[in-house]
Amino acid sequence: MTDVLVGIENLSRDFDVSKPWLNRVLENEEKKYVTAVNDVSFEIRRGETFALVGESGSGKSTIAKLIVGLIRPTGGQILFDGTNVATRGSASMRQLRSRFQMIFQDPFASLNPRWRVKDIIAEPLRTFGVVEGRAAWEKRVDELLETVGLSAKDGAKYPHEFSGGQRQRVAIARALSAQPEFIVCDEPTSALDVSVQAQILNLMRDLQDEFGLTYLFISHDLSVVRHMASRIGVLYLGRLVEVAEGKTLFREPKHPYTKMLLDAVPDLEMTGRSRQPVEGEIPNPIDPPSGCTYHPRCPLANDRCKREVPVLKLHENSKAACFALEEGRG
Amino acid sequence: MSDALLSVRDLVVEFPTRKGILTAVDRVSFDIARGEVLGVVGESGAGKSMTGSAIIGLIEPPGHIAGGTISIAGQRIDNLPYEAMRRVRGKRIGMVFQDPLTSLNPIYTIAEQLIETIRTHMDLNERQARDRAIGLLDQVGIPAASRRIDDYPHQFSGGMRQRVVIALALCVEPELIIADEPTTALDVSVQSQIIDVLKRMCADHGTAIMLITHDMGVIAEAADRVVVMYAGRVAEIGAVRDVIKDAKHPYTKGLMGSIPTLMQDSDRLTQIPGTMPRLTDIPPGCAFSKRCPEAFDRCFVEQPDCRPYQGRDVACLLYDEGKPQ
Repeated sequence: MTDVLVGIENLSRDFDVSKPWLNRVLENEEKKYVTAVNDVSFEIRRGETFALVGESGSGKSTIAKLIVGLIRPTGGQILFDGTNVATRGSASMRQLRSRFQMIFQDPFASLNPRWRVKDIIAEPLRTFGVVEGRAAWEKRVDELLETVGLSAKDGAKYPHEFSGGQRQRVAIARALSAQPEFIVCDEPTSALDVSVQAQILNLMRDLQDEFGLTYLFISHDLSVVRHMASRIGVLYLGRLVEVAEGKTLFREPKHPYTKMLLDAVPDLEMTGRSRQPVEGEIPNPIDPPSGCTYHPRCPLANDRCKREVPVLKLHENSKAACFALEEGRG
Repeated sequence: MSDALLSVRDLVVEFPTRKGILTAVDRVSFDIARGEVLGVVGESGAGKSMTGSAIIGLIEPPGHIAGGTISIAGQRIDNLPYEAMRRVRGKRIGMVFQDPLTSLNPIYTIAEQLIETIRTHMDLNERQARDRAIGLLDQVGIPAASRRIDDYPHQFSGGMRQRVVIALALCVEPELIIADEPTTALDVSVQSQIIDVLKRMCADHGTAIMLITHDMGVIAEAADRVVVMYAGRVAEIGAVRDVIKDAKHPYTKGLMGSIPTLMQDSDRLTQIPGTMPRLTDIPPGCAFSKRCPEAFDRCFVEQPDCRPYQGRDVACLLYDEGKPQ
């Protein structure tokens, strides 16, 4: 399948973390930037679930926000069905936006507490003019509520009357109401208990089959990603270090960081197994290490890794950015 | 069990509210042996943290222990006066909480906090206490401990802070550490380091750990036995391997099936219909009866007791003698 729905090319985003102007002048300091996303390229094919995994500070949520246009990139392109979203004006952006939606992590913060659920779900319907007239949208809202496993009666309630899992269902119904092709899911289940998480993950899969949706699935939880994704990108300090098919990534991880990450996941199957101790922690992104940012923690690092930045290259079935792999070390 | 370090019997914790009395912990019993890691797992509201708070005597009023006993090495601690309990806390029972930033005082250096704790409970001078503190930081894996001890909490990363909190809990070599979601706020790579530290402490000092978490993976990794809690009650207690590979209670079965794993390819996760009942709304009989695929008439009227079954304890009428299997 080569039908690309979303293409990300050399995407970067800096954030200004400088001190206030007066302090900079008095202390004679330069402006400081954090590069949250650094030269990231990948593509999402129509109908697949592409997952981004990484630890905190790896830039996963920033990429999600860039793609839906909540923040603007510092550099690079986001092509949605061939159109560059990043440079679009707001009027034409609005038309495009009905084709992609987002589900956020915290269902307590992403729903307006003063709106009834039916109004929350109807907002995209009315904004994008999906249906005409009150009767039509009310009927549509009822259908959507039932699609996500709630009852039509629930529309009259307020968000606080629902549990976390039910609220996430409301958020999913709202995302579906604009009839999008593409949904960005930023940690959709990490605020939920496991049994509720299972319900939401199953629902998301059913909806994908039913409506032919494409997902960008962002999570720090590797087992969830393993369950949901067809392809996976691993992020470390704003850079993509490995991209592979889900099965391939878990069976034969290439990049040393991916290996470490997989080894660190406590898994139910491993009761009693001893494992490789993990070295170090994620460095401060304001002052990242030179060259390959993983080199201070990497068992295979040499001088070249400290100097040069590796790029993604094809190794068997995976793409990985690692000199040790290129040179056949380790 | 005679060699039990901590013994909890029929513990009941109640909260009086306007709508009536809420039973947050309902007749919970378990033992922890010396040097054992006991996992306590359950979803939010299952009463696992409340059980931990009851043991260390830190239940927020108006909540209170309404029944049962808690004893450590044979001595009852649930009815001790405040001052006596204060000496037990810290000296015999250490604590590690989820968020390391709230367990550390931001305006004191790590040294001051460790030394204060050590000198409160042990007869050491400033110098000796400081040496001990450095030794502890070293043990929990803080690099350059002798230099970093004079730093403030904000100068440490999340994983390092949690190590400091563990050092603080270990200060006076307690017999038991209650760790409430110690790795929940941390990234996976750091989580595995912290689990290693806890396990090593357990092995080196013979400290028993009560590990409270919602993450079954952490339990699988670290614990010897596990207590599964549901709606304030114990559903199942058994060796970790037994409970994971061959759960008996229908809730535990559902819980295990709902966890995605790295190894297997499955299209759908098992899902338990519905959600855990609110404490105001626990059904009569078995708390799980309304969601249970195997429930039969007795389940809706009779509350099951935790009974031994095939080397573990299960609170389920399915395993009651003379019942349809």
